[in-house]
Amino acid sequence: MSEPIIKIEDVHKHFGKVEALRGVNLNVDEREVVVVIGPSGSGKSTMLRCINRLEEYDKGSITVDGIDLNNPHNINMVRCEVGMVFQSFNLFPHLKVIDNLTLAQRIVRKRSKEEAFEIGMQLLNKVGIPEKADVFPGQLSGGQQQRVAIARALAMNPKIMLFDEPTSALDPEMIKEVLDVMAQLAKEGMTMIVVSHEMGFARAAADRIIFMDEGVIVEENTPELFFTSPAQKRTRDFLSKVLQI
Amino acid sequence: MEKEKKDAPNRELSFVTGGEVNIRQDPWWWLVVVVIAVVILLVMLQPVPFKDIIVFAKDGILVTIIVTVVSYFLMLILGLFGGLGRLSNNKLVFGISSLYVEVVRGIPLLVQLIGWYFASPVIIQKLGLWTGIEALIQYRANPIITAIMAITVCYGAYMSEIVRSGISSVPRGQMEAARSLGMSYFQAMRYVILPQAFRVILPPMGNEFIALLKDSSLVSVVAVADLTRRGREFMSAHFNPIETWLMVALLYLIMTLIAARVVSYIEKRSKYER
Ligand SMILES: Nc1ncnc2c1ncn2[C@@H]1O[C@H](COP(=O)(O)OP(=O)(O)OP(=O)(O)O)[C@@H](O)[C@H]1O
Ligand SMILES: [Mg+2]
Repeated sequence: MSEPIIKIEDVHKHFGKVEALRGVNLNVDEREVVVVIGPSGSGKSTMLRCINRLEEYDKGSITVDGIDLNNPHNINMVRCEVGMVFQSFNLFPHLKVIDNLTLAQRIVRKRSKEEAFEIGMQLLNKVGIPEKADVFPGQLSGGQQQRVAIARALAMNPKIMLFDEPTSALDPEMIKEVLDVMAQLAKEGMTMIVVSHEMGFARAAADRIIFMDEGVIVEENTPELFFTSPAQKRTRDFLSKVLQI
Repeated sequence: MEKEKKDAPNRELSFVTGGEVNIRQDPWWWLVVVVIAVVILLVMLQPVPFKDIIVFAKDGILVTIIVTVVSYFLMLILGLFGGLGRLSNNKLVFGISSLYVEVVRGIPLLVQLIGWYFASPVIIQKLGLWTGIEALIQYRANPIITAIMAITVCYGAYMSEIVRSGISSVPRGQMEAARSLGMSYFQAMRYVILPQAFRVILPPMGNEFIALLKDSSLVSVVAVADLTRRGREFMSAHFNPIETWLMVALLYLIMTLIAARVVSYIEKRSKYER
């Protein structure tokens, strides 16, 4: 076994009185796809945001691709290696789609205009909307915006992709187009951590499912075992709620 | 795919393309034309004193414009840093910029002008005596520079609040998205946050220009020979208050009306689809 690409050890995080994370331990291997589920407020987003240090944790350690996150000099290095996709897309509304894709390539990765454009167009092709290169994000549907957001993160050539409920702001008919892109990425061997309650996606694409509650990882398993024989009562209760819908 | 097409037309409608300086598009230009026509008419029908006033006051008009434009750009820069300071996580930076904004906004501009003009040379000379630097001891207040400095400091405080609210209006997710792509704080500000904040800030920024143009008349009390001061000099020489102040008022009105049109033109051009 090679070293895990993400190592999270005993990470704690609190917001005021709220303890969002109370000792999270998680190792993720290269090319692994981990789906995280759990009730609202259980700390899923917080854990994800600690991995690229959008949130600072209070205690514990996180290592990403051999880079120690406790050392603050490494933040921008880590952020280049870790792509993040948000529930609310967060595209830059004042920039055309193609410029959304090239901005960080040029100012962070220092690529030339032509190279960044080339890579941007390749990725728009990959997510299936090359014809939207010259429109503004506001003119796209939610599903298209999220696909652009995925392409924007991929343009930095990350080794890891984090998804925080990427489809929960979408109308039902647009969810599939986004999940398809993500499933394709998973198949290509991208290391992914996905917070999502899309159980179909979890079954099909995940190597491992993690259930979080009250700031800790309660249970983890392969999709088959996770759905058929959950060990903890809390997991069973939660699953019976989400699977009903 | 069908659904997207259906959505397209009304989205297009809300897309505003660049406006043009065009009287038909912006009928308020007529008001500018009318006021200028009134001035020309007055000058032609009664060159004494109306033409004399303009000839006498024309360098004053120039001074008014210079003081306004220079302090405006300086206060924009000061306001940008003040606004960023007001949003800083650094307690010292936040404290200093907040103190600046709160104190300066609570003192009338006229008082600040007079204070800078009469008090700052004394302080600088004292400082010179204390440090032994000859240039400081010899310091004399330059009216225009002092006036520009006072207006910049005063308006910079108001601008700081405008900048702060503009930046706050940009959703938090924008900074997070930018940072998660590896941009530094300053890159994110420069390329992502400020361009969006700018569109929110633009209307109040335009109002500040017009307000500053009018408030620049206060500099006449600290020996700056602006339009107002030249008007006063003309009046005391020729004893015709009605004609003098009518003409001075019309000249200010022309400047503010033109500024208002330019502001509205820039605003229209910078609207965009979200
Ligand atoms: N910036 C913040 N300030 C204060 N409290 C926060 C902040 N972010 C998260 N929290 C709190 O931390 C806890 C965990 O939040 P988190 O967003 O990680 O949960 P989550 O599992 O992602 O929930 P959801 O499914 O609703 O997105 C919650 O109680 C939340 O209220
Ligand atoms: Mg969340």
